[in-house]
Amino acid sequence: MPYFTLPDLGEGLQEAEVVEWHVKEGDTVKVDDLLLSVETAKAIVDIPAPKEGKVATLFVQNGDLIHTGEPLLAFEGEEGSGSQTVVGNLQSKEDSGTDADNPDQFVVGAVAGSPAIQTTPAIRSLALHLGVALEQLHGSGPGGTITIEDVQQQASLKQSHGDSTPLKGVARSMAKAMAAAGQQVVPVSLFDQVSVRHWPEDTDITLRLIRAIVAGCHAEPAVNAWFDGERLSMRIVEKVDLGIAVDTPDGLFVPVLRDVANREPADLRDGLNHLRRDVEQRKIPAKELQGATLTLSNFGTLGGRFATPVVVPPQVAIVGAGKRFSQPGIKKGELFEDVQLPISLTFDHRALNGGQAARFLAAMLAELAR
Amino acid sequence: MFSSAPYTMHERLPSLDSNSDWSRLIQAYQAMALIRCFDKKAVNLQRTGQLGTYASCLGAEAITVGAGLSLENHDYFVPYYRDHATQYLRGVPLYQILQYWGGDERGNAFPAQTPAVRDLPNCVPIASQLTQAAGIATKAKLCHESAAVLATCGDGATSRGDFYESLNVAGVWQLPLVVMVNNNQWAISVPGRLQTASQSIAHKAEAAGIEGIRVDGNDLPAMLDVLDYALDKARHGKGATLVEAVSYRLSDHTTADDASRYRKASELHAAWQREPVARLRQALVDAGHWQADQEKQWQTHCQQEVDKAVQTYLQQPPQVPTDMLDYLYETLPESLQAQRTVLSEHAGGRHA
Repeated sequence: MPYFTLPDLGEGLQEAEVVEWHVKEGDTVKVDDLLLSVETAKAIVDIPAPKEGKVATLFVQNGDLIHTGEPLLAFEGEEGSGSQTVVGNLQSKEDSGTDADNPDQFVVGAVAGSPAIQTTPAIRSLALHLGVALEQLHGSGPGGTITIEDVQQQASLKQSHGDSTPLKGVARSMAKAMAAAGQQVVPVSLFDQVSVRHWPEDTDITLRLIRAIVAGCHAEPAVNAWFDGERLSMRIVEKVDLGIAVDTPDGLFVPVLRDVANREPADLRDGLNHLRRDVEQRKIPAKELQGATLTLSNFGTLGGRFATPVVVPPQVAIVGAGKRFSQPGIKKGELFEDVQLPISLTFDHRALNGGQAARFLAAMLAELAR
Repeated sequence: MFSSAPYTMHERLPSLDSNSDWSRLIQAYQAMALIRCFDKKAVNLQRTGQLGTYASCLGAEAITVGAGLSLENHDYFVPYYRDHATQYLRGVPLYQILQYWGGDERGNAFPAQTPAVRDLPNCVPIASQLTQAAGIATKAKLCHESAAVLATCGDGATSRGDFYESLNVAGVWQLPLVVMVNNNQWAISVPGRLQTASQSIAHKAEAAGIEGIRVDGNDLPAMLDVLDYALDKARHGKGATLVEAVSYRLSDHTTADDASRYRKASELHAAWQREPVARLRQALVDAGHWQADQEKQWQTHCQQEVDKAVQTYLQQPPQVPTDMLDYLYETLPESLQAQRTVLSEHAGGRHA
């Protein structure tokens, strides 16, 4: 399907906001018909149709921020045909088989969409010949410039082991967030388990866990906090906004369930369902993924008993709930089959001490045992 | 020495007798209509990522066409960057003009056998072309050529030292130079009243001891009259002229600009009432030299010519890396020869 991507509209400006679409999906347009208006840092710009055709999909909505090289819309057309030429695209270098496919790939101003790659035209040309994507290289030359050796080394690596796949989207964000957390946080984990044999068959485990976390926060409010590692300052937060880790085919999302201490169970369940559905349909607004004060990872629904989940700053702790398991219990000298729920707590030892964490965990377990 | 009121012709056109050169005015109108059609398409190409930053000539059609028709084959043209019609009339194909604005060095290789081969390429730095024009005029004078040099610039350029230096030397040395200022009222976002305290730009000729003429830049017949006079004067060794063509920039400064942020819509609307293309068409129609069906045919022709140029432009094979050197120097400096060799060894790919 032929895409039309956001061109560089103003001497190297890399982003624009969609002000208004003047066409909708299904509309037929002629060359130079007005498609949409976008606003760059410099100007409001009307973008006309580069070709005639029927609009199949609009990829962005009014108000969205879009970067140069990202798709604006798709025209209807044969999948995988020669008409794949992306009109006005300045970015898909690794996709284009030959130069002749894209006669219009000149760039005035900065190269769209990617950070500046520092190398010479000759090395770019060599990389193109060898099929090496320069944006995946670390330059070993002065000031991070890419040298001929860098390109040749990458080419031989590629020849023996194939291409590496750059992370995109959620996976990329996760990699960055985890790397940052790993550098800052001083993690300590506590493990414990609690008998939940008495729980009715239809117990909503997530809701029980949330209730237990609220009880933990009552016992030890410092666990529900934000810690600023640079200024070494701590802000204990009154409202418990709980991040809930959600696994999706696209990667890990942590939407935030607001004010869990003061909501009715039915309301919480409703909120949880909403978050989960929005995440699965990828419709969750960015602000619903921000501002958690504490996080719950209920990985036990998938498997695993104990874990050392990663605390993501500025939060100071994360609770992991494992898979329930059976073990022999003893009551009044009699053996019986008990069911145990394993709980892990990782905290940032810069912000909390072991006593605080243990009191929090104990209060949680007491609530779960009720 | 001159009047502050711009020189005009349009009002007097009806009284011209039938022996007057109407065919030249028709030719001018056709070129103005073509370049307006081209201009609109060029902006759309930029908006769809198929052209780089582009400077529109909307509202300057009478100036740029007037220059193209007044220049003779052996004259020299030294443009700034809103002279697309002049370049076209001098022999640069429309697709090459697109190449230039598409960042393609080959757009500046003007075809041999056309007057354009004597001309300089566009000059984006402000006013630096004027000193170069004075240099070319000096050469023409020393070689006793019967040729004039026409250099153009915008109103913003008149605040630069290069402008005064060029006028000064043109006066002292009696150079065959015509400097034409397209005073379109706006230097990007700087309005004329903040550009100079001078009564007019044409007044600035006084300091250099040359003639200054203020002309209505929306009045094609007046443009031809003034440029014919000034260029002829230059060719006959009678000295330099500063021409101030008063127009209005109906477009944004370039495609990287948004004039609505600093310019009143009412001002723009008023300027459209004086725009040069419709004005000349109306005069031709009124005089019985242009008919409705001619207009329709010509507009269709313009669209076809522009579409053809766009196709030719888009179908050009990619540039090779060595182009950046080969189209810059007549003779490559020795210091760059090693680089050129490396470039040509890895040639065959585009260079982003």
